[in-house]
Amino acid sequence: MKRMNKVLALALAAVMTASALAGCGGAASSSTPAASSGSTSTGAKGQVYYLNFKPEQADQWTALAKKYTEQTGVPVNVVTAASGTYEQTLKSEIAKTEAPTLFQVNGPVGLAAWKDYCYDLSGTDVYKELKSDDFALKDGNAVYGIAYVIETYGIIYNKTLLEKAGYTAADITNFASLKKVADDIQARKAELGIKGAFASAGMDSSSDWRFKTHLANLPIYYEYQKDGIGDTEAIKGTYLDNYKNIWDLYITDSTCAPSLLSSKTGDDALSEFVLGEAVFYQNGTWAYGDIQKADTLKDDEIGMLPIYIGAEGEENQGLCTGSENYWCVNKNAKPEDIQATLDFMKWCVTSEEGKTALSSEMGFVCPFKGFTGEFLPSNPLIAAADQYIADGKTSVLWCFTTMPSEEWKNGVGNALLEYAQGTGDWSAVTKAFVDGWATEKKA
Amino acid sequence: MERSLRKYSPIFILPTMLAFFVGFILPFIMGIYLSFCEFTTVTDGKFVGLKNYIKVFQDATFLHSLWFTVLFTIVSVIAINVLAFAVAMLMTKGIRGTNVFRTVFFMPNLIGGIVLGYIWQLIFNGILQYFSRTLTYSSKYGFWGLVILICWQQIGYMMIIYIAGLQSIPGDLYEAAEIDGCTKRQTLFKITIPMSMPSITICTFLTLTNGFKLFDQNLALTAGQPSNKTEMLALNIFSTFYSRVGWEGVGQAKAVIFFIIVVAIALIQLRLTRSKEVQQ
Amino acid sequence: MTSEKKQKGGWGLTIFLSLFSVLYVLPIVIVFTNSFKKKAFINRYPFTLPDSKSFVGFENYIEGIRKTDFFNAFGTSLFITVGSVALILVCTSMCAWYITRRSNRFTRSVYMLCVFSMVVPFQMVMFTLSKIADMLRLDNPLGIIFVYLGFGAGLAVFMFCGFVKSIPLEIEEAAMIDGCNPLQIFFKVVFPVMKPTYISVGILETMWIWNDYLLPYLVLDLKKYKTIPIAIQYLKGGYGSIDWGAMMAMLVLAIIPIIVFYMACQKHIIKGVVAGAVKG
Repeated sequence: MKRMNKVLALALAAVMTASALAGCGGAASSSTPAASSGSTSTGAKGQVYYLNFKPEQADQWTALAKKYTEQTGVPVNVVTAASGTYEQTLKSEIAKTEAPTLFQVNGPVGLAAWKDYCYDLSGTDVYKELKSDDFALKDGNAVYGIAYVIETYGIIYNKTLLEKAGYTAADITNFASLKKVADDIQARKAELGIKGAFASAGMDSSSDWRFKTHLANLPIYYEYQKDGIGDTEAIKGTYLDNYKNIWDLYITDSTCAPSLLSSKTGDDALSEFVLGEAVFYQNGTWAYGDIQKADTLKDDEIGMLPIYIGAEGEENQGLCTGSENYWCVNKNAKPEDIQATLDFMKWCVTSEEGKTALSSEMGFVCPFKGFTGEFLPSNPLIAAADQYIADGKTSVLWCFTTMPSEEWKNGVGNALLEYAQGTGDWSAVTKAFVDGWATEKKA
Repeated sequence: MERSLRKYSPIFILPTMLAFFVGFILPFIMGIYLSFCEFTTVTDGKFVGLKNYIKVFQDATFLHSLWFTVLFTIVSVIAINVLAFAVAMLMTKGIRGTNVFRTVFFMPNLIGGIVLGYIWQLIFNGILQYFSRTLTYSSKYGFWGLVILICWQQIGYMMIIYIAGLQSIPGDLYEAAEIDGCTKRQTLFKITIPMSMPSITICTFLTLTNGFKLFDQNLALTAGQPSNKTEMLALNIFSTFYSRVGWEGVGQAKAVIFFIIVVAIALIQLRLTRSKEVQQ
Repeated sequence: MTSEKKQKGGWGLTIFLSLFSVLYVLPIVIVFTNSFKKKAFINRYPFTLPDSKSFVGFENYIEGIRKTDFFNAFGTSLFITVGSVALILVCTSMCAWYITRRSNRFTRSVYMLCVFSMVVPFQMVMFTLSKIADMLRLDNPLGIIFVYLGFGAGLAVFMFCGFVKSIPLEIEEAAMIDGCNPLQIFFKVVFPVMKPTYISVGILETMWIWNDYLLPYLVLDLKKYKTIPIAIQYLKGGYGSIDWGAMMAMLVLAIIPIIVFYMACQKHIIKGVVAGAVKG
């Protein structure tokens, strides 16, 4: 018994000193990160860590990464940030030793914050695959970001229900007609067996970006057009009344009371739309996957309308098309990891598997040369977007990539919600929009 | 003994000291230093003096969250302690089923803050939708939601401590009071409460610091919505730090201020209640 | 405290407390019933029982387990909790005994630092600690155990010191005369007497570590490891939106181990809390 205890005590002491020493060892090696790079388990082969921005496609990316690892033996980790937490996750992850090798920025503003981490992609194969320089995020001659998906948003509508109400898409050509149709549908909602004209404009973090970012794009776009600029230090808010009009329409002709909006989620709006409880649903081409999954609406039953806000000449306005998804490679990653990442990106946009996954499984329109013919997604919403372009309408640019910061978007979103609920008034939105812009651009 | 102990000191204290140094002392000192710096990571701090602290006090969300936290802490400390004390009194009366009740009341305390937050989000939104409202409609709902949640979680814990305190009051004190013809009210205020002062000290201390440091429940229940109006200090610091580019230093300065407040409260509170104990 | 007084008014209060208890467990019951409902019904009608239209069997569980990789998260949580608590208990008790028995300026300041660390809010060190943990490659379940030892040491050392002070020196001295070295003294003499303190420290640390969200969220390598609270928080928005069905199922799965643990060692938990509080 006595011996036992002695042995036990010694063993314990040994374990503890060992763990203490291990701690020291770690400390010593970390002070020379360059030298210790060889000691990681993966060796010189390199690995990819992709911090994905799009939660809608989380599963597909993981599957694609797995396929790549099976083929090449190169480990690819995909982490998807929860909705609304991308900046936060990127920030805490990039500070780590095993930082993301591949991450995303949302445009020029995002690039400004992360430029120090961006690898110049100008000589890379992925960049050469790009259809045009319009899809690259450049700073001088350096290419810091590459758009990998082009998206379009507008007001998705249920053709069957719209016809049931006695209208077609052709009846809606500007804000006035949109409002007329929506108001009429809302008034007859019981007769039509629906809950409202528009799906709930939820302001939960899973849905609020549809309004604080995407909808807010329109007043910014028109102001830029009018002033002939592409970015500004001080927004004037010329079209804020139009913003108010469309927002009023969304929350009045809605499936739910405005006081419930704060906790309505993206899922709520989607399920209202797919269950035929709402006719209109503001969202983009990326929503097709979820609509399809619900399996209630056939492809020819859905279409997309431009978001009319009542600006002059909007009869000629098309859908909003652009990208806020730019791939960036972390230049502080180990050289072999950078190489592995570039190889992976190339594989995604050139190999059969990669192209199939991006186009048909994720439903992306990708601006790379190899995406032609069968690699164009069979997405009716994209077809609608193409039709508008074929009809000679002008696509609305994604000016929201010039929004000053996430903080600005949050400020606008909060004010929008308070206004909708009746706990705040519109002047707060104006203030957050105009004053917030100036403060955040300065910061 | 002293000498032989010294020989063994590495085995006894080294592991803990090393971990304590890495896990607390070093981060703490670096944290204080970084609060005077502009930085994106720990190694690239540029000294900027008090700039971060000035920014903190210009930040309306911080001041709001400070005020919100103070209010929340006051209300929750009172609510939890009064209710827990009352329940503890009932529990020591020898009512049938006391053991079962104690089991039930204590249970929520073991459930983590994130889980609790989502449980109550469902319940509150379920109730409020009958009134066409949601939890994040106004900060009032969020406030009382948090208070209810925290009561539900902590009453059981404090009750256990109070029960232990009440049971240690000698029975002859009550007998003497009865002989002297004390009313129930007098017994409560002249005997029970003064004699429970040690457990009251502990419970107020615990609820006070718990209230001030609340984070998980806040994050899961309202995440600060609407308009950051239900954001408490800990969450405000977290979001300043991780959601705003270029505000790391300000976040760290907020954390230092937060730390000073918590320490000050702990000291004042301990002194106050301890001095009362002595008087009794 | 006479026995006949104890029984007075028993039934009325029993009924009152029974109702109160039912109300107390209701939130958990509601989460449980909702976990079997289609997600569209959960948010809209949280208080109805599942019926033929809304019942989905275990679909939510299957979906939730897939989305959160629950069993992995459970394993990670379990490993971290058991490992950290074991390490904390062994290391800090040894440390506490040492610094109590060898009173000099160094050990006294260690003790003061430990007490001090108890009031420091985590936000104060969150950034620097996670950065240091990353630099030392402590971003895995094994490493985080070391971080927990460091950050949890304060409370544990404090509580153990409190207890060691009450152990009479004579036994240890006698053991030393018998030729025991300090390690033998500790494990043969001190260790057995401290059993109740081990239990209460163990319980308190278990409750903290099992439910902790922020520390593992910031320290762990999230692409490889998630704990249960992290997995649950990730359900909110991790797939573009909250899936309330999966959320309900995961909340139930998160609560079950806690209830099992509670039922198995309720007595120890309650004792542990009391002991912990009285010392704290």
